[in-house]
Formats: sequence, structure tokens, C-alpha cells
Amino acid sequence: MLRAESVSFGYDGGFTLSDASVDIAAGSLTGLLGPNGCGKTTLLKLLSGVLRPRSGRVMLGDRVLSSMTRRELARHVASVPQETHPAFDYTVMEMVLMGRHPHLSAFQLEGPADFEIARQALDATGTRHLADRNYMTLSGGEKQRVVIASALAQSTEVLLLDEPTASLDLGYQLDVASLLARLNRERNVTMVLATHDLNLVASLCERLVVMRDGRILAAGPTGDVLTGETVLQLYDVDADVQFHQRAGHLTVIPVRRMS
Amino acid sequence: MAARQAKLIRCVVVLLLLCGVNLSGSLEPPRGPQRSASRPTVAPLPTGATRIVSLVPNVTEMLFAVGAGPQLVGVSSYDDFPPETKALPRVGALLDPDTERILSLRPDLVIVYGSQSELEGQFTRAGIRVYPYRHGGIDSILQAIRDVARLSGHPADGDRVIRELRSQLDAVVTRVRGQRRPRTMLVIGRDAGTLRGVYVSGGIGFLHELLDIAGGDDVFGDIKREAVQPSNETMIVRAPEVIMELHPGEQPPADVLRKERAAWNLLASVPAVRTGRVHLLYGGYLLAAGPRIGRAAEAFARVLHPDSFK
Amino acid sequence: MSVPPGSLSGERGIGGRLASVLIGYGALALAACLLAPLAGSTHISLARAFDRSIPFPDNVDAQILFVARMPRVLTGAIVGSTLAAAGVVMQALLGNPLATPFTLGVSTGAALGAVLAITFGTSFPIGTLASVPLASLAGAVVASAIVYVLATRPGRPISTMVLLLAGVTLNAFFSALILFVQYAADFTQAYRTIRWLMGDLDVGSFAPIVASLPLVLVSLGIFAFLPRSLNLLSVGADSAATRGVDVGLTQRLAFFSASLATAAAVSLAGPIGFVGIVVPHLVRLMVGVDHRIVLPASALFGAAFLIGCDLIARTVLAPVEVPVGVVTAMLGGPFFLWLLVRRS
Repeated sequence: MLRAESVSFGYDGGFTLSDASVDIAAGSLTGLLGPNGCGKTTLLKLLSGVLRPRSGRVMLGDRVLSSMTRRELARHVASVPQETHPAFDYTVMEMVLMGRHPHLSAFQLEGPADFEIARQALDATGTRHLADRNYMTLSGGEKQRVVIASALAQSTEVLLLDEPTASLDLGYQLDVASLLARLNRERNVTMVLATHDLNLVASLCERLVVMRDGRILAAGPTGDVLTGETVLQLYDVDADVQFHQRAGHLTVIPVRRMS
Repeated sequence: MAARQAKLIRCVVVLLLLCGVNLSGSLEPPRGPQRSASRPTVAPLPTGATRIVSLVPNVTEMLFAVGAGPQLVGVSSYDDFPPETKALPRVGALLDPDTERILSLRPDLVIVYGSQSELEGQFTRAGIRVYPYRHGGIDSILQAIRDVARLSGHPADGDRVIRELRSQLDAVVTRVRGQRRPRTMLVIGRDAGTLRGVYVSGGIGFLHELLDIAGGDDVFGDIKREAVQPSNETMIVRAPEVIMELHPGEQPPADVLRKERAAWNLLASVPAVRTGRVHLLYGGYLLAAGPRIGRAAEAFARVLHPDSFK
Repeated sequence: MSVPPGSLSGERGIGGRLASVLIGYGALALAACLLAPLAGSTHISLARAFDRSIPFPDNVDAQILFVARMPRVLTGAIVGSTLAAAGVVMQALLGNPLATPFTLGVSTGAALGAVLAITFGTSFPIGTLASVPLASLAGAVVASAIVYVLATRPGRPISTMVLLLAGVTLNAFFSALILFVQYAADFTQAYRTIRWLMGDLDVGSFAPIVASLPLVLVSLGIFAFLPRSLNLLSVGADSAATRGVDVGLTQRLAFFSASLATAAAVSLAGPIGFVGIVVPHLVRLMVGVDHRIVLPASALFGAAFLIGCDLIARTVLAPVEVPVGVVTAMLGGPFFLWLLVRRS
């Protein structure tokens, strides 16, 4: 569905990402792991078309991303940034309706169909009751869910999320995790999730891509990739990776920092 | 060019307006020079100052008029009248007086603006006599002539210059006596080619008094300020019968002159425009608050009452 | 969950609100345009002003209405709406509600041009246009071009931080140049510069208005395409890009049109401050923050606002006038402070 073919990217000489290839299958939920500055965000921006690769290419189905207009692309791929700070205090409904932008022509206003899609997105993220609230008055977890709703209103097949739980407390982290799992299951949205939260990817993602220093170290099913060795390689941390009975998925317990 | 000096004086008018200062000391302008000052405000020096620096162009002009020109050793950067000033060292002006340079000229009298109080203090501490010039109406001009004449050791010449000036002004008053006084607008600034940035003389200051002497009624005489920026509406409503525009520079070529006069045609209902009594006057003497005000008064009168000069 | 009537999440939302805002604010602007010429330092009779039987040169009332007041009110409408709309666009472009049309150096460039024209320029008009407006327009264009070159790199979105920095630096640099030129100028010229900086709507005829119209119309035309993109842009450049906004193009259009609008307004009437920030914020307090509503509402309200300020300027101390920039600053300064305090 979404495929990066040996893409490289860098500003002014240096490379933040080199020769990376990933293949995201339709309907899959892929986790993207790696230490700070490893190129996760760059890879996500290349996949969403916000950045253009210096070499290599990104394919959406059988089309090259760089041949598509922003509008066209935004009807297929949506993104959720780590944090969203609007300069003006839009209402939640206004924020969500902004997701309809790629589906509207220059002077077109949102019609009943757009409002219906926005309401479904609010329902899906459990934020319907916030529709008339101002975005800036919301809690961190509510904000993140509203931004996800806005991305859902874009009606895309692919959703790219950059550390969507980073600024949330434990309760909201679990809320967002189950929300993503449900959206993937019920709406069949293909998702790529960049995160530092090893237990989150363990619980959510069927596939993992791990990166370090702008390169992809490994990619494959979570059970194969998420090992103590991988954690050591990525973070220089000695960790126990075990299947947790009650949680029903792998868990990572960091033990100590090596080095 | 005499233009710069006159321009400077015009600015002083405007600056004083900016500061909201009313230095003429009288709200009711006199109908002539009769009320001019008679008592000196400074005691004469035992012997007149021999090395004078003047930062005030119109006072420089006064010094030359009373015969103290040769005693001048330094003038302001804007001085250009009389032509003899061109040979003298320049020592800055209102905003940028060069204290060191002035001191190096070893003056025994420095003429500064009344607002340059810090400078005044500096020279006083250095033991140098300072004369602070204060701008105002005709009275102040005559007073300043009397003062600098005494300070420079030419009291008799000062009195003579004042007598001559008075008789010049009196002659103008006599000439226009009995004539109908046209309602006049005295324009002292305007953006070229348009009716924007128009400044006119208000009811205070030597220009207003000169207009009065020349037999004109100032349409903005009720506004007790030296300079007024009227809107187009106000000019239409005040409906001057004569518009007299003063320019410190040289007279431009005829086509430019025609264009500048035509700028006023916009105010078609104003009597001065309808009857063709829009006059553009050029010359540094028109705006100089010094010994040439008699000439300016006559120039005004010739415009206002051409028949009286036939 | 049911949607309360009149709620923003209701279907009538944008279209209905846009229509009522256009009608309401349009009526306000129209009323200002029609009523302001009737008021002034003098009383005029409308019947006499429109009496065709009196020849125009004899008709003082008509003169006052058509020569003195109408160009002035029209200038107020154009300058007010242009500056207010440019303020809205600039705030969205920079993602900063405290930005003004003058933040990126356009007005300081215009001021430098005007100061140069006042100080060294020929005192003779070029064609039908006076040299000061032309020079200030040129100064504004040069300033915008410098900021643009400094802040943009081909093919990349503009970094608003760099843009802001370039604008602020240029503002400071041009201000220093203005001081230098003023130092070289004589007092009359320096005073005329100061007066120019206070703004003046008494343009004296319709000619300068007509001359500025093409620039104003082009920039307003570009503004019309921007609002929805500005909504997204003000949420974040990357997030706007993933929602389908061509960020680089939108930023360039916004920069170009806002600069052009500001340049036209400033060359027509001088840099009248606070209109570009007070009006958008007042409007947001009344109609929310959606740019599709804020932009047209600000343009209309800005016209009414500046006409109102000028009415105060020309009547409060009649027959003497208060510079209109002083009136907007007296009203706008405290308001701006209040906004700052409220935000912190």
C-alpha cells in the first residue's frame, strides 16, 4: 500500500535518513521504533509527502508520491503530529472540519455530508460532547483525540502518527491505544505509529520497523523484532522482554543502562 | 542659497508649535510696530564682544545689520545670508552644536536658541557670555536686534536698524490704510503638486503680524498657534479671498509654477481660487525673522493691495 | 447526542454565519460610508449640496461634500479595510495573533521611501502622482523584497521564525536609516516626516485613491483564495501540509498579498497604526476565529473603524485636526495592552 524504496533525505549536505526501505501493508498497524534523532519523524514526513526524498521514492499503491498534488495526497494519507498548538482558539468542530480541506474546492463550504463525516470522527474518538468547546480549553488527552478525529475526517486509508501518546498520562495513553486499535480494526485504517513507548507498540502493532542513526536496522513481525537484543541495540539498555499473561502481549522491562 | 536659512526659520516656527510653546507673549497681536519693546533685557558689555559665534541664522543676519558682522568668528551650518557668512566656520545648529569647535574659536559671546539650555550652561560655566534667542513676534525680533546690538558694542546702530524697520513697517501700514482688508490665508508649507500637508500661519507669530500690517485679515487668526494644518474642509469653509503661499527657495520655471498654482483649483468654491488671487511668493526673506521683515511686509502688501502701489 | 440549535456543529454553521456576518458588517461599513460624509466640523445642507441648479464652483456645500469629505471617507474605507485584512493574513501567516501588517518591515520601508522623498526628492510631482506616495510605495516594495529573499529558499516552505526575524531586523535597520536621513534633513523636512508617520486621510482628491485601487483590488482578490488555507496554516505548517494545503504557495501568496495591501494603504495615507491588530481581534471576539468569517468581517469592520476614527480626528478639536494615527493609537494602544494582559 505505502512503500518507501531506498529513500534518503538530509538538509544541507548531511543525511538524516539514508537508503531506507519500508513496505506498509494495507490494513496493517506498524510500529516505528528508535532512539531520539534516529530519523523516525523524517521517515514519517517522507511517507506523508511533507518532505520529498533526495533520492529513492515513495509509492502509494502504484503511484509515486512526488507526482501527486498535496490535495490528492491528503485524500489518501493523513497525519497526526506529536502536539498541535493552533495560533487561534478554534472550536473542536472547526478543528475536525479542517480535515475535510482536501475534499473541498477553493470556495466550497462544508456541506451536510462533511458535517456527518466530522460527527462520525468525533463519535469514533469519543469527543462528540466536546464539539462546541474551544480546543485550547481541552486537556492533553482530549486535544490528542480531537486531532486524531480531524485526521479521521480526512477519510484516508492511511494514518501516520508521530508519538501520539508522548505527552499523555497513563490513562490517556491507554485510551488512545485502544482508540487506535479499534480504528484499525473497525475502519480498516492502515497505521504507522512512531513512538518511544515499547509496551504500546507491543500491545498494538503486528509489525515493527526499528531504526538507528538514519538507517533501518530491522523490520518484521513484532514477536520477531521486539527482543532484548533489539532494545540493547537501539537504546543501550539491558531489558527483559517477556510475554505478559494478563496483558496478553509482550512487555519490556528496562533493567539498566549499558555504556 | 537663502533658501536653507529661511527654511530653517520656518522649521523653528514649526518646532515651537510642536512644543506647544507660545513665546510671543501676547495673544492679541499688535496692529503695527508701535508696541515694540523699548527696554533692553541685557546689560551692554563694557566693551562689545569681539569674537561672536551665532547658532541662530536670523540673529546672524541681525548682527550683520548692526555692523557686527566682522566680529563673527563662527556661524551655524544653515547660515547663508548675508553672503559673507559663507566664508565663516560652521559650528553645527540647533540639534548638533559642536561644542568643542565653538570653544576652539575662543568666542566671548555665543548666541544659542532659548531651548539649548544645556549648551547655555556649558558656556556659562566656561565663562563665556551666552545670549539665548527666543522666537516670537515682531516685538521679539526688535528686542533681539536691540540686545545683540548692545552685546556686540553697536547700541546706536541697533537703535538705527530698529528705527528703520519701524518706519518701513509704518510706511506699509500707511500705504494700505483705509483699504478693505481681504480675508487671507498665509500658506507656509504644502506637499508639491497636491493639497496635502498644507500648513498655514495661525494667529500667533511674526508672519501673522506681518500679514496684519500688510492689510490682510488672517482667516486662521482665531487659532492661537504659529502654524496650523487645516483640512480641505476647513479651507473651503474659511473661504479666503487671497491665498498667499510663501516658498523660501528660488522661483521655479513657469510650467512648474503654473502646476503648483493649479493644485488649488480643486477648491473651486474658494473666492481666492475663483478670482485668481492665489499668489506664490519665492524668496528667503519672506520667512526670515530678522531685519528683512520690512521687505516681507511690503511684499505681502503689494499682493494684497496692488492698487496702493501704483 | 443531539446537537443544540444554533450550535457550531449544526449544518447551517459556516454558510449561515458567513451570510449574516456579511450582511451585518456590510451594513455597518455602508452606513459609515454614507453617514460620515454628512458629519464634520461644519454643517452642510444635503439639499443644497445635491442642487444641480447651483453651479459647482458656487456650491460650497457640494464642495465640502464632494471635494473635502467624500475622498476622505473613501480613503478611510479603503485603508481601514486593507490594513485590517492584511493584519488578519499576517497574523495567520506568522501564526502569531500579535503580528500586525507592519511587523515585516513594509511600513518602515515605506517610511524610509517617504523620508527620502521629503528630504532629497524633487519637490515637483511626477505625472499626476506626488513623489512621496510613489517613493513610499517603492520603499515598501524594496523592504518586502529584502525580507522575502532573506526568509525564503526555493521550493521550501517559509520558516515563520526566520520571516519574523528578518522583518524585525529590517524594521530596526530601516528605522536607523530614517533617523540618519532625518539628521541630514532640516527641521521642516523632519517635521513633515513625523507628520507623515502619523497618517493622514485628507488625500485632497480622488486621484490618489484611483491610483491605489489596482493594488488594493489585486491583494483583496488574492485574499479571497486564502481563508481556509489560513485556518490550517495557523494550526501548524506540517499539519496543514498533510491536510492538503500547499504550504509554500499559501505562505508566498499570503506574504505577497498582505505586503502589497499594506504598501498600497501606507502609500495612500501613511502608516496608520493599530487598525491591523485592533480590528481583527475585536472581530474575533464577536464572530470566532474561522478565517473565512474573520477576514471579510475584518475588512468591513476595518472600513467602519477607520472612518469612525477619522470622524473623531476631524471634529473633536475642530477647526484644528488631530492626526488620525493619534486617534487609532489612543484607542488601540490600551486595547493592545489589554489583549496582552488577557493572554498571559
